[in-house]
Amino acid sequence: MNDIITTACKFVTSSIGRKILVALTGACLLLFLVGHLAGNMTIFGGSTWINNYATGLHAMPAWMLMAIRLGLLAILLIHVVLTLVLKLENVNARTHYQKEGTLKATLASRTMVLTGVMIFCFLLFHLWQLTVNGDPHDCYNHIVAAFSNPWCSVFYIVAICCLFMHVRHGLQSVFQTLGLSTRKVRPLYNIVAILFGLVVCGAFISIPVCVMLGIIK
Amino acid sequence: MNDIKFPVSDYMPDSCIPDGPIDQKWTKYKREAKLINPNNRRKYTVLIVGTGLAGGSAAATLAELGYNVKCFCYQDSPRRAHSIAAQGGINAAHNYQNDGDSVYRLFYDTVKGGDFRAREANVYRLAEVSCNIINQCVAQGVPFGREYGGLLDNRSFGGSQLKRTFYSRGQTGQQLLLGAYQAMEKEIGKGHIEMYSRHEMMDLVVVDGHAKGIVVRDMVTGEIKSFAGDTVLLATGGYGRVFFLSTNAMGCNVGAACACWKKGAYFANPCFTQIHPTCIPVKGEYQSKLTLMSESLRNDGRIWVPKSREVAAKIRRGEMKPSEVAEGDRDYYLERKYPSFGNLAPRDISSRAAKEACDDERGVANTGRGVFLDFKDAIARMGKEWIDGQYGNLFEMYEEITDVDPHEQPMMIYPASHYTMGGLWVDYNLMSSIPGLHVLGEANFSDHGANRLGASALMQGLSDGYFVISSTLPTYLTTQTPGSVTTAAPEFKEAEDAVKARIKKMMDVQGTKSPDEIHRELGKLIWEDVGMGRTKESLMDAISKIPAIRDEFWNNVKVVGSTEGVNQELEKAWRVAAFLDFAEVLCYDALNREESCGAHFRLEHQLADGEAKRDDANFAYVACWEYKGTGELPVLHKEPLTFDTVHLAIRSYK
Amino acid sequence: MANLNLTLKVWRQENAQAQGRIETYKAKNIPDEASFLEMLDIVNEELVHEGKEPIVFDHDCREGICGMCSLTINGVPHGGKKVTTCQLHMRQFKDGDTIWIEPFRAQAFPLLRDLMVDRTALDNIIAAGGFVDIRTGSAPNANNMPVRKKTADAAFDAAACVGCGACVASCKNSSAMLFTSAKAAHLNLLPQGQPEKNKRVLAMVRQMDAMGFGNCTNQYECEAACPKGISVDNIAKLNRDYMIACAAEAVGVFS
Repeated sequence: MNDIITTACKFVTSSIGRKILVALTGACLLLFLVGHLAGNMTIFGGSTWINNYATGLHAMPAWMLMAIRLGLLAILLIHVVLTLVLKLENVNARTHYQKEGTLKATLASRTMVLTGVMIFCFLLFHLWQLTVNGDPHDCYNHIVAAFSNPWCSVFYIVAICCLFMHVRHGLQSVFQTLGLSTRKVRPLYNIVAILFGLVVCGAFISIPVCVMLGIIK
Repeated sequence: MNDIKFPVSDYMPDSCIPDGPIDQKWTKYKREAKLINPNNRRKYTVLIVGTGLAGGSAAATLAELGYNVKCFCYQDSPRRAHSIAAQGGINAAHNYQNDGDSVYRLFYDTVKGGDFRAREANVYRLAEVSCNIINQCVAQGVPFGREYGGLLDNRSFGGSQLKRTFYSRGQTGQQLLLGAYQAMEKEIGKGHIEMYSRHEMMDLVVVDGHAKGIVVRDMVTGEIKSFAGDTVLLATGGYGRVFFLSTNAMGCNVGAACACWKKGAYFANPCFTQIHPTCIPVKGEYQSKLTLMSESLRNDGRIWVPKSREVAAKIRRGEMKPSEVAEGDRDYYLERKYPSFGNLAPRDISSRAAKEACDDERGVANTGRGVFLDFKDAIARMGKEWIDGQYGNLFEMYEEITDVDPHEQPMMIYPASHYTMGGLWVDYNLMSSIPGLHVLGEANFSDHGANRLGASALMQGLSDGYFVISSTLPTYLTTQTPGSVTTAAPEFKEAEDAVKARIKKMMDVQGTKSPDEIHRELGKLIWEDVGMGRTKESLMDAISKIPAIRDEFWNNVKVVGSTEGVNQELEKAWRVAAFLDFAEVLCYDALNREESCGAHFRLEHQLADGEAKRDDANFAYVACWEYKGTGELPVLHKEPLTFDTVHLAIRSYK
Repeated sequence: MANLNLTLKVWRQENAQAQGRIETYKAKNIPDEASFLEMLDIVNEELVHEGKEPIVFDHDCREGICGMCSLTINGVPHGGKKVTTCQLHMRQFKDGDTIWIEPFRAQAFPLLRDLMVDRTALDNIIAAGGFVDIRTGSAPNANNMPVRKKTADAAFDAAACVGCGACVASCKNSSAMLFTSAKAAHLNLLPQGQPEKNKRVLAMVRQMDAMGFGNCTNQYECEAACPKGISVDNIAKLNRDYMIACAAEAVGVFS
């Protein structure tokens, strides 16, 4: 037992171990994102669909809802805290050049913390706006009302763009960190990451856009 | 021109060759050798200078055995020693190709390749342990080239009609050195080796006639420090940079060997310097280094120059592309002169043939000092892909440097100083004439005679380091009380003071010439006068001019910076000073050896067809030079060479 | 052949403690067929003649194999042409160019002087586990252990690393993952390396962490800067091998 604890401690303090945890939690968050999106898409079915979906979620036993929420929170916190710690270490490990140069690192990969922080801030706002102040029985009108405010929509769209950047690097990064990447499949992962990001983020953005265009009203 | 009369001494230390038939000498030696109890080994401190194949492998092996090892190198890491640059391969008598190889054949080829100026017993031992080296390296994880069946592949090399060369693409030296380096790091990690990188050996400390320590300069702080040990192993490589332009690394130098020579170690056969036939030709004055193209290229490349001077001149002026020269206008001179070995003739022969072609004004390259190495036929025969599989990195390297794609146009090559067969004299135990000073690898003179065959240097370095020294070192150590000398001995202080005084002296000159300029001057002189073709006149010319260059150094050198901290100019100056002290003995040896053999070619001594004319009656000996003061004539000691197994014969590759 | 006139912005720093700064030098009449280091030789020769201290930089073999030369050129280690600095040629530059020359920067590579840094941290990673722990003289016949050609080639590709540290210097996080993973992959791929595989991976990764390198964020800047084309596949493999090794250690498959 001692061996297991010792190794576990060493694992979560090692660079690769923490990266693997970040990758795994990131992968979970991506899955959550897909589920969340699937739910959101019911808005295109009209108010009944999405209201049913929302009330359905709330009809879950309270313990289950709490467990899912706590689980997601834990995953998110692990993801955020570990990346921040890793980032801090990375900043400390580096000495800056007077003239910086970049060969291959994508903009997305270099702005992961920035986009991550943006997404986190958005998340807090998003939860406050649509969960804390929301009413599951009239979800549809609540969303339409929220996105009718252009500032709110713009903020949402900007945040989802950040999410795209984050996912675009994060998704292919998961494969590399979990050791599932080779020279042959790496370009494929890259394409998958971009497509996944485009589809998911495009779908998310479609909601405020449709609200503002009056398609959803 | 007055003849120089060298003082000759009758005294010669015993070379300690075991008696008995040649194939049993080493076995007998090992059977009877002294041993040191494992618990006592750690009481002995071994100082090893240099971390190339010889030094690195010796450090790892001796540390594994339990000796207390301290290791020094001037580079920032032991992995960077210049053995790393060896490209082609390493020989071994495994006979995996079933083409009739054996220990005897490898031995025979090496003695013959060395033009009968190597010690038979040493060469036989080298051939004997050659297979162990391959086994050892494979077990370490050295990624040698393999066949599809999973077994090791071989290629052939100059001076051999067999395929016995093991290789790792064009980076064999790198992979072998990394193997030794990893073995060394393993022992460093275990605390058995204390590694001192960026430390340059400045002097040898001799206490009561025995080598008991070294003085080093910490190249980061500038501090002069002493280390005491029970024996010193010198594995500092060759002196090829006496030519200034060479294939050696920029830091390679004779400083440590020269310091030992001054302290009483004999310098043996310094005139045996190998000029490698396949290097990229010189481009300009600013150059300080020439790049080697592996000899393995001669397996598939064909060497030629135009038959006519007119065509050569057109190519030099850039009016004609080499690929446009018709087949009938090309002179494949090696194939013409040496039909049985062709392009794989030994290095000395190939180099001289290139020089002859260029002297005949048929050379190419803008300087006129270059010949072609053409892969056109090989590409047509085997395909581009196959060629790239064999030599890909070499082709890329060539293109990177010259901006010419060797798939399209032939490579241009010219000989350059590469390896030095001469070195400090050692006996069968690898011990020099100073008791306690052992010399390994290129730094010693032992196994290659007057010419080294391709793929033999790696073999010798690793043989000395992995297999020989571990057996022979106890022979000396058992005569010593471990730890008997410490740095408190007055000799250490004396040596340190002498080093500091010499540094101060060169720093105080503050003249007008940089160390590099003086080095370049010396190099040009040695290349012209003591290069591929030597005459009495040229040698006398060099001997008369070297003291002037040395005076220029001590009166007009400019060493900027201070003695403290990093000072690369001081490092250069120190090394140039050593080359200047050493250069004369190279000329003296070449002058004394009134014969042509291997890489030492005296124009006065050649056969009617221009081949080397050996004089076995008068020169079948190792010329060992004892230092008597800078500017003074050294004393010549002779170790006679006897050939009981291989009969002396004219070396023919026709 | 043409000659170039260049402006150099060079990092000068007397020693580890001193304050560094960028100094400007003119490099005049540089033949375009000279290598980058030969260009610096020419500049240094001039500085020496002016009685000034030449620019200190590491270099040795000058044929792209020893890994001693470094230099970050215009923000990219070795100049980003897939060769070491000693093999970078001036024909890659244009007349009138301004070239920034800085050391390989990383906290794990303490600066010694000017452009010279201490890369001992890389040696320490090898000392921790980058070897096959066999004694000299105990090896079996080399052909007793066939190795699939593909495996041998892959091991060679990883072993081609020259240990220059460009991967660390180019990494936005100063991570040494490419270096560490290349050596681990070289030995882990081969049958000779199997007995110590898990032990090696754990030791090397832990040593790497202890030396103060940063963490890999899969930007592949290292692969792009590597003069020897070492692939980031090795990093994926190290991640994989590390997970396996940790699991093995935890459940006591080896100890």
